[in-house]
Amino acid sequence: MPATEFQGSFGRSLLTLRRDQTDSNHHHHQPQNTMEAELDSFQRQVAEKFIDLNASAGDNNLLSLDWISKLLDSFLCCQEEFRAIIFNHRSQISAPPMDRILSDYFERSIKALDVCNAIRDGIEQIRQWQKLSDIVISALDSHRPVGEGQLRRAKKALIDLAIGMLDEKDHSSTTSLAHRNRSFGRAKDNHSHHRSFGHFRSLSWSVSRSWSASKQLQALANNLNTPKPNDVAASNGLAVPVYTMTSVLLFVMWVLVAAIPCQDRGLQVNFSVPRHYQWAVPVMSLHDKIVEESKRRDRKNCCGLLKEIDRIEKSSKVMNELVDSIQFPLSEEKESEVKQRVVELVEVHEGLKKGLDPFERKVREVFHRIVRSRTESLDSLC
Amino acid sequence: MAENGEEKLLAVARHIAKTLGHNESMADDILQIFSTFDGRFSREKLSEDQQPSDDGSGGVAALERALNSLDSQISRFVASDQPIWSDPADSAAFLDAIDELVNLTREWSHASSEKPISACLSRADDMMQQAMFRIEEEFRSLMDHGAESFPVSHRFDESEEEDDVDDGEEDYDDSQIPVAQPLTDYDLIIDALSSATINDLHEITKRMLAAGFGKSCSHVYSGSRREFLEESMSRLGLQKLSIEDVHKMQWQELEDEIDRWIKAANVALRILFPSERRLCDRVFFGFSSAADLSFMEVCRGSTIQLLNFADAVAIGSRSPERLFKVLDVFETMRDLMVEFESVFSDQFCVVLRNEAVTIWKRLGEAVRGIFMELENLIRRDPAKAAVPGGGLHPITRYVMNYLRAACRSRQTLEQVFEESNGVPSKDSTLLTVQMSWIMELLESNLEVKSKVYKDPALSYVFLMNNGRYIVQKVRDGELGVLLGEDWIRKHNAKVKQYQMSYQRSSWNKMIGLLKLDNAAVGMNGLGKAMKEKLKEFNMQFDEVCKAHSTWVVFDEQMREELRTSLARLLLPAYGNFIARFQNLGDIGKNADRYIKYGVEDIEARVNDLFNGTSTARK
Repeated sequence: MPATEFQGSFGRSLLTLRRDQTDSNHHHHQPQNTMEAELDSFQRQVAEKFIDLNASAGDNNLLSLDWISKLLDSFLCCQEEFRAIIFNHRSQISAPPMDRILSDYFERSIKALDVCNAIRDGIEQIRQWQKLSDIVISALDSHRPVGEGQLRRAKKALIDLAIGMLDEKDHSSTTSLAHRNRSFGRAKDNHSHHRSFGHFRSLSWSVSRSWSASKQLQALANNLNTPKPNDVAASNGLAVPVYTMTSVLLFVMWVLVAAIPCQDRGLQVNFSVPRHYQWAVPVMSLHDKIVEESKRRDRKNCCGLLKEIDRIEKSSKVMNELVDSIQFPLSEEKESEVKQRVVELVEVHEGLKKGLDPFERKVREVFHRIVRSRTESLDSLC
Repeated sequence: MAENGEEKLLAVARHIAKTLGHNESMADDILQIFSTFDGRFSREKLSEDQQPSDDGSGGVAALERALNSLDSQISRFVASDQPIWSDPADSAAFLDAIDELVNLTREWSHASSEKPISACLSRADDMMQQAMFRIEEEFRSLMDHGAESFPVSHRFDESEEEDDVDDGEEDYDDSQIPVAQPLTDYDLIIDALSSATINDLHEITKRMLAAGFGKSCSHVYSGSRREFLEESMSRLGLQKLSIEDVHKMQWQELEDEIDRWIKAANVALRILFPSERRLCDRVFFGFSSAADLSFMEVCRGSTIQLLNFADAVAIGSRSPERLFKVLDVFETMRDLMVEFESVFSDQFCVVLRNEAVTIWKRLGEAVRGIFMELENLIRRDPAKAAVPGGGLHPITRYVMNYLRAACRSRQTLEQVFEESNGVPSKDSTLLTVQMSWIMELLESNLEVKSKVYKDPALSYVFLMNNGRYIVQKVRDGELGVLLGEDWIRKHNAKVKQYQMSYQRSSWNKMIGLLKLDNAAVGMNGLGKAMKEKLKEFNMQFDEVCKAHSTWVVFDEQMREELRTSLARLLLPAYGNFIARFQNLGDIGKNADRYIKYGVEDIEARVNDLFNGTSTARK
């Protein structure tokens, strides 16, 4: 009999549970209809979550920190339910085809872990931009009329921001050269101040320099086929929630990569779910909306589709143009325009500041839950 | 008196300036020259005769004059191609100018509502921005170029300057790092900033923070130090690996990487991070929040890199062979946790601290998972090919040696198991429970294996052998301490029981044949019966001896015990039987025809038992 150890909410003693299982030596064959009901309920729950997400995706909310947080919350819920299903039917998971199917799922979940880590690095990247917009704000947001020096300071920060937000493909030629040409010991004269505001790869601590988000997503999606009818039958239907959970996992990771800057960000992934799954329509609808967003002319080469990034980019661009247009002495009109733009920038900045920390914590939680689910289930796979 | 003298001197200076200076700016320049000539002729003192008049216009004039002077000074510096800090006099003058500017601004900011004052303040602000721009460059330059590289062979029991010599570091090289190399081999290249440089940086920091440029300052600082740190880490051979990378690594390769990680973690947490902390505290002295923030920015990435690897190890495979290395990583995390908490003690680092604890706990989980995997391995070990001669099964050897080796890290394991959600009983630790359980599983598995033998006697020999091995491996060592005397006693009794069962199954019938039956009918009847019995006995004895002498009892003592026990049973019974047989009248006369073995022969053959074949003998 497979042994299980579940920590946390299931809280059974590790050894007593295993002993019980070994001593009693019987299969938990629940009556077929309750299992069916359980699996159906899972499908329904997933569908409901995504219908909800679809509904709240309107009005410029799609891909905002808030919305993505909601997506992550939905993921965590589905994950918990999935975990419960696996636990309830743990007697079956060590036999074929479930052993192979689950093991495959957990291999994929490792890739998701790396995506979460890369996203964490990406969030740090965004924080660097926040620091720059902070400088712009503090340079221009004073009681005194804007002086030349402050303007210069704001301008410098705005340039750094613009460069920092360039899609890394354009960025790589300039800065990575600087990195590669480092002599052993000190990087002396290649110092552009670009270095100090960080490029993705120099801020990536959790993955190697050659790691690619797009390849990772492709690997996650590789061979993700709807479960074969024999497998479904042989596993008493358990193959279906695994397929569902895998699809949800893939989708969530895909959204994260779409929104947050990361190494080799690419969204070309074969992702399609047959319509007969309850959740297929809302998920595919979101997918399509996001793909559409990524193709928009003004977002085509951005480094991350996060709404807040878009706002900062636009706001700082406007500010940049305004700053460029300023001639001294400052007319009252110009001055009030500056003040207005600053107010806008402050709004965007504050929104980001408030939302980024909790968002990072959420991503981290997703990471930890994926690990926990994997550990628990692997430990019960004989 | 001296004061008077000075007053007079200043008055003279002013007079000269006024008379010689045909216009105000010329006078100004002359005063400027005076002020650079002698410290007593500071601009403030020379303009002291200017009283702010009622309408404040005199004050504004003074302010403007002061600003002009500062402007020319600051512009000169800002425009200079040479690093200002290459000349201490220059840098001091520059800082003075900035200080003055700050003072002026502060002094006059209350009057900022007045237009002329406000214009001056704007100008002052502008000058400050320029000065800050320049000083930021100087700061960056000092950070990057002010370091001296020198190699250091660092021993861990050397105390670090004036601070923290904790006892832990003294004991450090005795018990805790499981690296093969001697500790003196940690060759580090320390990029230390000289005291003078640190001082310069601090002076700059003060001004930048006062001018509201703290964030930029912190940023330049962190960027520079972070690069250095990254370089140090890579010199330690630490790669940036994703969790999947680690997951896919060959075990041999991963072992090496773990060794490198242990070294890097120790160097980072005991040397590099604390020294960065000290540097931060000195450069940002007086600004603890900026110091904390900068420190976090410097060390965050490297810390994440270290933690990520440990996490990957914890998340990885549960193959039992990994136990010892995973324990190494666990112990390293445990031992460094104190360092972690002290170095990352501030508000910005809470997240990192929590991550470290989570990952440490996960490593404990991994160790427990490895034991679970061991259990699975035992349970799943198939009972296919029987060990010839009933000898020691490889799984017994593997498990017992594994557990003995594992128990050498008993204290760590106790810690690991206490962390689980198990429910301890009052008289045994969770580790004991785990060990007992593994033993139970092993024994169950062996029992199943024993049934493969067609001959039940051989099953008993098999169980005897393996049981004996188990007890022996338990007895002298930590495993015995864990399982306890009772357990050992019980298992010895079990082995004894197998011996009895063996004896019963193979020899009882034979010995039964030798029983003297007095109820036989008549002398002839008895003789005939005895003849039959002897014939039967010889046959069985031959058979058994032939077979059982190829069987193995590896433990010498047990072998002797068995033989002795059999002999004790067999020999007197046989002796009596033979003697009786030989005295049975005319049958007895031909008795020798039927008596194949003398008592000595029996003894000899018994002593030949359990020698095993050359292959089975293990």
